[in-house]
Amino acid sequence: MVAGVVSRAAVPRFLRARSGCWRRHLWAPSGEAAAAAASSSGARSPFDRQLKRKQKNWAAARAERGRSDCDYLRFEVRPLCGAERTFPLALDVGCGKGYIAQYLNKETVEKLVQVDIAENALKTPMETEIPTVSIVADEEFLPFREDTFELVVSSLSLHWVNDLPRAFREIHQVLKPDGVFIGAMFGGDTLYELRCSLQLAELEREGGFSPHVSPFTAVSDLGHLLGRAGFNTLTVDTDEIQVNYPGMFELMEDLQGMGESNCSWNRKPLLHRETMLAAAAIYQEMYGNSDGSVPATFQVYYMIGWKFHESQARPAQRGSATVSLGDLAKINFSGGKN
Amino acid sequence: MAAPWLRARERLRRIPEVLAGCRDQAAAYGRCVAAATAGRAELRKDACAREFEALRACVARAVQDRGAGITLS
Repeated sequence: MVAGVVSRAAVPRFLRARSGCWRRHLWAPSGEAAAAAASSSGARSPFDRQLKRKQKNWAAARAERGRSDCDYLRFEVRPLCGAERTFPLALDVGCGKGYIAQYLNKETVEKLVQVDIAENALKTPMETEIPTVSIVADEEFLPFREDTFELVVSSLSLHWVNDLPRAFREIHQVLKPDGVFIGAMFGGDTLYELRCSLQLAELEREGGFSPHVSPFTAVSDLGHLLGRAGFNTLTVDTDEIQVNYPGMFELMEDLQGMGESNCSWNRKPLLHRETMLAAAAIYQEMYGNSDGSVPATFQVYYMIGWKFHESQARPAQRGSATVSLGDLAKINFSGGKN
Repeated sequence: MAAPWLRARERLRRIPEVLAGCRDQAAAYGRCVAAATAGRAELRKDACAREFEALRACVARAVQDRGAGITLS
């Protein structure tokens, strides 16, 4: 834990503009805040962010070297479809290779700032027609001033954040009034088949079990968290994506290729081959499809939250009603004239 | 000489192929575990040890036939 404190404060954040050719070194001012958060107990910070950064860097570099791409889920989940407003400045938190940017156009977003913890992912961005700026930063310590962005999006990266209430508060802070946060993250039932298979296999083979799949937020908690962070007019929706794999090992390899390997502090460093074999057999038997493949469930929560502005609709004051529900019976429905 | 973790990964990658030849034993083991967890029964260590031994033996045979260097530990 102490090592994590030192290295996070010392990591430089650099700012790189796509359309220009200038470079600037930007030091995140929240070094002390980072240190304080990192030294808190494991309950507050379940994930090793340095390890997550290494895993994501490895995954991005692997895709570069020509190994098969495992980011099909990031293409599948699109949190910004159907936006009808134009946002002059938008922020993409946990952008990866910039998956959201590639399906945005100039009418929706005029300029996009992309933030990710892994610099390798930012080095090989996707093609997009809007001007972008890439910054290496942690989702929990956004290096932006208050009231900067009209829009903040986040797709499938918030489930590795240590302090989710804090991350939501930071996002709320960098939004302008009447700004909106549109996010998608993994939750709840994601990979429950894998979790159960490994648990049962470890119980049967070794007599005890330790968590191998990271903990996810429940959908009921998500609404509360967004409300506590200050967002109004919340919308939370869930969707399940089921992906079929030839077997458990292929699933685990793909998860590694996505940069989604476990990075919890309490993860067991060793998984016996026997246990893995047992888990694969259990997975196949308990959850397998009729054609021999096994399904993996990814449950995605889509959320929308607005930052307060006077123009937004608000609940009316108590006692300000001008009509009574008792008058409902007096409404004349004949011929559509009333 | 390839790095040790690369060799371990190679061996792990061969397990699915080997497992394909032992579907019956794997299914029997899976059914035993599913039955042991049904209802209010708790799964204990080695509750399905017999089925797992059969699975392990089948995998070891398949590995020997292929000449691959996997050892289960």
